[in-house]
Amino acid sequence: MQTLSLIGNPNCGKTTLFNALTGTTAYVGNWPGVTVEKKEGVWNGFRVLDLPGIYSLSPYSPEEQLSRRYILDERPDLIVDVIDATNLERSLYLTSQLAELGRPVLIVLNMQDLLEKEGITIDEKRLSLMTGCPVVSISASKGVGLDQFKIEVEKALEENRAPACPLFSNFVEKYINALVEDDYLHAIPKGRQPRWAAIKLLEEDELFLATMPPFPEEFSLFLEKARQSLRDHYDDDVEAVIIDQRYKVAEHISRATQAKKKQKSPFNFDTIATNRFAAIPLFIAIMGGVFYLSIGLVGGITTEWLEGLFEMLGTNLTVLLSSWGVFPLLSGLLTGGIIAGVGAVLTFVPQLFVLFLLLSILEDCGYMARIAFILDRMMRSIGLSGKSIIPLVIGTGCTVPAIMSTRTIEHQKQRELTVLVTPFIPCGAKMPIFALMITYFFPGQWYIAPMIYLTGVLAVVLTGFIMRAFDRHKERTVFILELPRYQLPTAKNVWLQTRERTLDFVKKAGTIILLSSAIIYLLSSFSFTLQPVSAEASMLAIIGRLIAPIFKPLGFGFWQASVALLTGIAAKESIVSTLSVTMGEAHITELFTPSSALAFMTFILLSSPCIAAISAMAKELGSKRKLLFALVWQTGIAYLAALLVRALVLLIM
Amino acid sequence: MATMDELAVGQRACVGAIKAPKQLKRRLMDMGFTKGVDIEVVKMAPMGDPMEVSLRGYNLCLRKAEARVIELK
Repeated sequence: MQTLSLIGNPNCGKTTLFNALTGTTAYVGNWPGVTVEKKEGVWNGFRVLDLPGIYSLSPYSPEEQLSRRYILDERPDLIVDVIDATNLERSLYLTSQLAELGRPVLIVLNMQDLLEKEGITIDEKRLSLMTGCPVVSISASKGVGLDQFKIEVEKALEENRAPACPLFSNFVEKYINALVEDDYLHAIPKGRQPRWAAIKLLEEDELFLATMPPFPEEFSLFLEKARQSLRDHYDDDVEAVIIDQRYKVAEHISRATQAKKKQKSPFNFDTIATNRFAAIPLFIAIMGGVFYLSIGLVGGITTEWLEGLFEMLGTNLTVLLSSWGVFPLLSGLLTGGIIAGVGAVLTFVPQLFVLFLLLSILEDCGYMARIAFILDRMMRSIGLSGKSIIPLVIGTGCTVPAIMSTRTIEHQKQRELTVLVTPFIPCGAKMPIFALMITYFFPGQWYIAPMIYLTGVLAVVLTGFIMRAFDRHKERTVFILELPRYQLPTAKNVWLQTRERTLDFVKKAGTIILLSSAIIYLLSSFSFTLQPVSAEASMLAIIGRLIAPIFKPLGFGFWQASVALLTGIAAKESIVSTLSVTMGEAHITELFTPSSALAFMTFILLSSPCIAAISAMAKELGSKRKLLFALVWQTGIAYLAALLVRALVLLIM
Repeated sequence: MATMDELAVGQRACVGAIKAPKQLKRRLMDMGFTKGVDIEVVKMAPMGDPMEVSLRGYNLCLRKAEARVIELK
């Protein structure tokens, strides 16, 4: 099967095109660096690869290195160079590097629909002539131009012709040509182009030099002489000279093919969004609004109603099953186990749907990069980067994609610290347990829910401060981020993203939660000798009592809580379902007190995340030692904070 | 020599040499800060840092510490 690989600057719409082609719903958003892993799909009998965005083939962060390695080593049959048409010049800088790889390149001018708004016209024919690549205009988000895209792809594969390499100034060309003609260049690894290799040798590209056998002395001398001559002539290092030359080419082509009508946009949202005084209050208002709308408003209306519905379903089913003479254990498993457990989780679908919807609008419109911009200064003071705020916001939905999104943070220490603190922000799956506790112990006390988020933020800040204080080698960190254009989120994309995440939640309720509820019910109905016993004498209670003493100081040293926390490792939603299954006829207010309920919530808020998030952490941290440290840190903070909260409440009350 | 971090909002300037370690220099140049390119400071973040600049038809934000290595002509 022939392979197309989509490559281009971050946030130029590669994944939107990938989704439009392959019919998948891979994660898209409007900030640079949404895609951090290679994605594969099939379209029209071609293998299509979506790669993380890069500005240049000299990469900095791990996800950019992935793109470079792939494009150099795997040599796709066609390089699909996706260009944000409103950002032609900088995009052509990457094109000038792609053209040297000896593979056919198809230029895709994406975001065609925005050009008109911006008053830009691009002469496609001329662009094609000057770059030597076929050019096609599309709008991936609107699905426009995909037929023509298909025709061009097939034509380009048929012709299988690499474009001519962009030419630099005569002075530079002289040395490139001399190197290309040198016999030594035949020693370059297979599949590498001589011209590309010559440029990399002049630039002293470390990744490339490492793949080369040692140079003969004569060649080495010649190479150094060439570099020195270039340095002297341009009064700069060779790498800078080459970059400069490439941008000259890009500038030249962009000026010759692009016409811009000056037009002042009537209103720029950034006047408020990044305003010196309004920016931070606005951010707080937006996040507050998101939670108020989803949890407060929609959650308030639907939760009670759905709870009633599942309760009624359970009662009716019990009556029905007993009238059929069904074995009581089986009827209990269905109602007390599965319906109680799964129902406790499904109750939260409407508010999570709204939360996912609002988050996806935020991600789509371009605001995320602005948050990183306005908060960088604050984040830096706790050892994080402005870019760390993006995972923290995504983490209010689900911690797993949040942890993956840390990959765009260039500096390793900041990236690892972000991975460590992201789970402190409560994900959607932790919401059921908070809601349950608030309903029974703090009804009508609106300030509890915001306090939970604040506690999470506090844990982030505290961890940052402590880590910074113990960091002996404070290194210089960098924050460079493109601010994307604002765009109206498309209904289709918002709907797809929201549906995907909500379905994920529902699916988990139908699989992990269903299974664990059933198992928990059975374990709480039998003793170790498999005799049907009361829950208090069941094997689950015995297991739970082994752990329970640990939580005694926190006020929830009873077996039900311990078992619930254990199942929470599989999925945080399980905590609620396990509680509702194991409590049986007892009421939650008989087990918890307001102080232990708060301690329980605090512990769940801060302790290690679910297994899916733990494995995401493992992947990003890349070392067992660091993972273990993170888990111990999170659980340690959780334990201490819960202890503190309980002590405070007992003191005050 | 004036550097980019000294510019006020709304000021335009022309980029000169970049005096930075190899990696940062390459990074800035990859983003389009090459000799002779025109830039304009669009905005400062609420706490005065980072700054937003426009160049080559797009907007970018970077910290003052990074802007300090970019000399102006």
